[in-house]
Amino acid sequence: MKNALEKFLKIDRRLIFLALTVLLFAPIVRPLGLPNKNLGKDVVNTYNYIEALPERSFVMLSLDYDPATRPELHPQAVALVKHALRRNLRVGIFTLNAGATGMIEDIAARIPKDIAPDKVYGRDYVIMPFQPNPVAVMTQLGINLYEIYDKDRNGNPTKDMEVMKGVKSVKDMGLGICITGTAMLDYYVAYVADKYKFPMAGGVTAVSQPGYGPYLQTGQLKGLIGGMKGAADYETLINDLEKGTSGIDALSLAHVLVIVLILTSNIIMLVLKYL
Amino acid sequence: MIFIKKHIPLFICFFVGVLTLGSYYVPNAGSENYIEMMNKWENIVAGFAFLLGLMSLFYSHFHKITRRAPGWGYSLFVYAGFLLVVVPAIVSNGQPMKGPDMTSLGWIYRFVFTSLSGTMFAVLAFYIVSTAYRAFRIKSPQAFVLFAAAFMVILGRVPLGQMMWDGALGWTGYQVTDVIEWLMSVPVVAGRRGIMIGIAIGGIVTALKIIFGIERQYMGKD
Amino acid sequence: MKRPPIIPLILPFLFLTSISSAAKPSPLPPLTGFTAADMPGDAGGAALLRWNAVGGAAEGATMEVYASDTARPGWVKIAEFPAAERTEKDMDLPFWAWRPAPGRHALAADTSSAFGRPDEAQEIEFKLRLVKGGASVETAPVKVVIGGNWFNVSRFNNLVLMLTIIIVFFWTVSHAKRKGLFIRRIAGLDAIDEAIGRATEMGRPIYYSTGIGPMSLVPTIASTSILGEVARKVAQYDTSLKVPHFDPIVMTVCKEVVKQSYLEMERPDSYRDDINFFVSQDQFSFAASVDAMIHREKPAACFFIGHFMAESLLLAEVGATTGAIQIAGTEQESQLPFFFTSCDYTLIGEELYAAGAYLSKDPMLMSTLKVQDFGKAFVMLAVVTGSVLLAAGAVFGWEPLMRIVGQLFKAY
Repeated sequence: MKNALEKFLKIDRRLIFLALTVLLFAPIVRPLGLPNKNLGKDVVNTYNYIEALPERSFVMLSLDYDPATRPELHPQAVALVKHALRRNLRVGIFTLNAGATGMIEDIAARIPKDIAPDKVYGRDYVIMPFQPNPVAVMTQLGINLYEIYDKDRNGNPTKDMEVMKGVKSVKDMGLGICITGTAMLDYYVAYVADKYKFPMAGGVTAVSQPGYGPYLQTGQLKGLIGGMKGAADYETLINDLEKGTSGIDALSLAHVLVIVLILTSNIIMLVLKYL
Repeated sequence: MIFIKKHIPLFICFFVGVLTLGSYYVPNAGSENYIEMMNKWENIVAGFAFLLGLMSLFYSHFHKITRRAPGWGYSLFVYAGFLLVVVPAIVSNGQPMKGPDMTSLGWIYRFVFTSLSGTMFAVLAFYIVSTAYRAFRIKSPQAFVLFAAAFMVILGRVPLGQMMWDGALGWTGYQVTDVIEWLMSVPVVAGRRGIMIGIAIGGIVTALKIIFGIERQYMGKD
Repeated sequence: MKRPPIIPLILPFLFLTSISSAAKPSPLPPLTGFTAADMPGDAGGAALLRWNAVGGAAEGATMEVYASDTARPGWVKIAEFPAAERTEKDMDLPFWAWRPAPGRHALAADTSSAFGRPDEAQEIEFKLRLVKGGASVETAPVKVVIGGNWFNVSRFNNLVLMLTIIIVFFWTVSHAKRKGLFIRRIAGLDAIDEAIGRATEMGRPIYYSTGIGPMSLVPTIASTSILGEVARKVAQYDTSLKVPHFDPIVMTVCKEVVKQSYLEMERPDSYRDDINFFVSQDQFSFAASVDAMIHREKPAACFFIGHFMAESLLLAEVGATTGAIQIAGTEQESQLPFFFTSCDYTLIGEELYAAGAYLSKDPMLMSTLKVQDFGKAFVMLAVVTGSVLLAAGAVFGWEPLMRIVGQLFKAY
C-alpha cells in the first residue's frame, strides 16, 4: 500500500491533464446549469455605476486584449456593450492593442444583429481605429481627442458625428472602462483617471485581479470585472446569460478537481508520514 | 574614439534622463510636447528595431536550414507562417472585413491566430493544475497557511464551491465570498503594497544609476 | 367749462407706484469679491476664480461660470454647480500652495474644452451668474491672461523627496570605496555559478530569457546586467548560451552586453552573434517557440529574469519537465507564485535590482544599495508616523493636522 501511495504522489502529470480535459469537456457537451448567486462586489459596483449614469452619457470602452485572453475578456466586453447600449448611453469603442481589432470587428458585427439592433452607428456608438503609443494617446484623450481620433475606423470624420456631440475629451465623458490582459489598466489609472479626475473601471484576467485591490480601495477604480466569473456575474446582472455563464460549469469542475488533488496529495503525505 | 563611444552616449543618457525627470515638475506645454516627441521617437526606433529583429530571425533560421542543423524542419515553418499571414494581409490591404464578408486576413486571424493564441493560453490551465498538485503540500506551518488561503479562494470563486461551502460551513453565518473579500482586501493588498514599494524604490535607484552613468552595461566595451 | 386738474390726479398715482416698487425686496444679493488669476502650476488653459460667499441666498441657487476668449468674443458656459459648493477649503491643493480664506469660494476654471489649449498665453474674460428661480445676478467680466507655468508647486513635496534621494545617492557613491558593505545572501544569485557549472559538465546549453518587457522597463535593464555576469561566466567555462528575445531593441542591447562579457574574459573567438536572437513580439508565439526549443534541446539551466506575464508558467513548467535547474526573477507579483512553484530559485522584485551589484561586487554599485535601504527606511518611518498622527488627529478631532499629514504624502 505504501508503494501505491508513493506512486500516486508521483503520478504522471499527463493523467492529471486527462482528468482535467474530461472535466472541462463534459459540461460543455452537457451543461450543469449551476446557479451563479454570489456576485462579486466590484462587479456589482461597475454595474451600479453604469446604471446611475444619465441617459446619453458617453462611455469610453477601451478594448485592449488580444486573442489569447478572448475567452475571459471578450464576454466581459460584450456584456458591457450590451448594458451600455440598452441603457441608452453613447458608446465609444477604442483600442490601443493591435491584436484586439479582430474582436472589435466581432462586436461591431453583432451590435446590429442581436446586441442592440435599434442602435445606429454614428448616432449611438462609434468605433475608433487602433492607435499605437498608449501614453501619448492617453495624454491627448484628456485634452482634445480629435487630435488623434479625427476619423473613425472606416475613415469617417468623428467631430461632427451625433454620438460625439459635446465630447471633446475625457472630461466630457461619463465613464471609462479598460478591458485588458496586460498592464494597460495601470496606465489608464495613472495617465487618465488620476490626471484628469476621470472615473475609470476595469476588466481584467482572473490572475491579475488581486493586484488591483489598492486601486479599488483608494477609489481610483470605480469597479473591476475579473475573469470569466466576473463576466458571468455581469451577465447575471444584465439578465443576459452568454459565454461567460456557460464557461462557469467547466470552471467549477476544474476548481473542484484542483481541490481534490491538493487534499488527496496532503492526505497521502500524512498517511505516509505516520504509516 | 573614447569620446564618441563613451562620453557622448553617457552625456545623451544624462541629458535626456534629467530632462524627462524634470518634465514631471514642469507643467508647461513645452514639457508636454517634449514627452510626446520622445514617445514618437521611441515608436520610430521600435519600428526600425522590429525590422532588425525580423532580419535576425530570418538570418538565423536560414542558416539552420542550409546547415541542416537539428530541428531545421521547424525553421521552414517560420518562413511558411510569415508568408501565410503577410500575403493575405497585403492582398486584403490590411482589412479583416470587407463589408459583411471576411477577407483572407480576417479568416486567418479568426481561425488560425485566435485559435492558436487561445490554445497556448489554455495550456496554462493544465500546467496550473499539475503545479498545484505538486506545490500545495503542507511541509511547514507557512505552507499550511498558504494551503488554507488557496483552498478558500479556489473553492469560493465558483458556484459549485460556494454551494459546497454553504452546505458544510453555512451554519457559521459567514459566506465564502466574505472570507475571500477579507483575504483579498487585507493580507493580499498589504503584501502587494509592500512589494510595490520595494520595487518602486529599486526602480528609482536603478534609473538614477543609469542616468548618472554608474550602470553602463548597455553601452558595450569602454 | 373748466378743465379738470390732471397733474393733481396723476401725482397720487405716481406716488403710490413708487412706494410699491421701493417696498419690493431684491431677490438675490450682488456677487462681490470676484477675482480671476492664472491657475498656478498648470499646463495652461485654466484660471483660478475666487468670490465671496453669498450666505443664505446660496440655498437652492446655482452658480454658472462663463468664459469668453477676447480674440473670439462670445460667452460660453464652462461650469455649473450648486452655489453653496466649491468653497476655498474644497480646492484640491496642498497647504504649501494654497491658503483657503473663510467665507470665500474658489474654482479652477478649465477652458481647454471650450477654447483649446494653445502653447502661448491667451486672454480670457470670466463672469459669474447666480441663478435662483427666475432671478439671476451676475458679476462684471474680469479679464485674465492664462498660460502654462514653469513649476507645479503642488509637486514640491515630491521634488524635495527626489532631491533627498539624489543627495543620498551621491553621498553613498562618494563613500563607495570605504570598507566592504554587507549584503544578505540571495540564494538565487549564488546559484548562478552552480547552474553554469552544471551546464558545463553536462555539455548542455543555458537558456536565458529577459522577458517580454521593452528596454524602458527597469526589470529588463536589471536583467541585462545579470545577463552580463552570466555571459562572463559562460565565456570563462566555454558553455553554450542561448538568449531568445521578445523585443528587438532588447536583443540589440543584449548583443552588446554579451559581446562585452566575452571580450572582457578574452574569449572573442567563442562569441557568436546568434547567441542573441529574435523570436516573436507576440506573447504566446514567443512562449511557444521558447518552449519548443527548451523541450528539444533540454538545457541544463534556464534563467527567466525580467518582466513576465502569463507566459511565465508556460516557460517555467516546460523547463521543469526537462530537469533543468531554473532561476527566475520578476517584478510582477502575479507571476511570482508560478515561478516559486516551478523554479528552483526565485528573485523577488527588488532582489532583481540588487543583482548587478551583488554579482559584480563593484563597490560603486554595492554602495547604491544603501540608497534602496534608505528609501525603504524612510517609507517605513513615514507609514508609522503618518498612521499615528492620523489616528491621533481622528481621535482628538485635530482636523488641520489630519489635512496636513494627508497632503504631505499625497501625489498631486
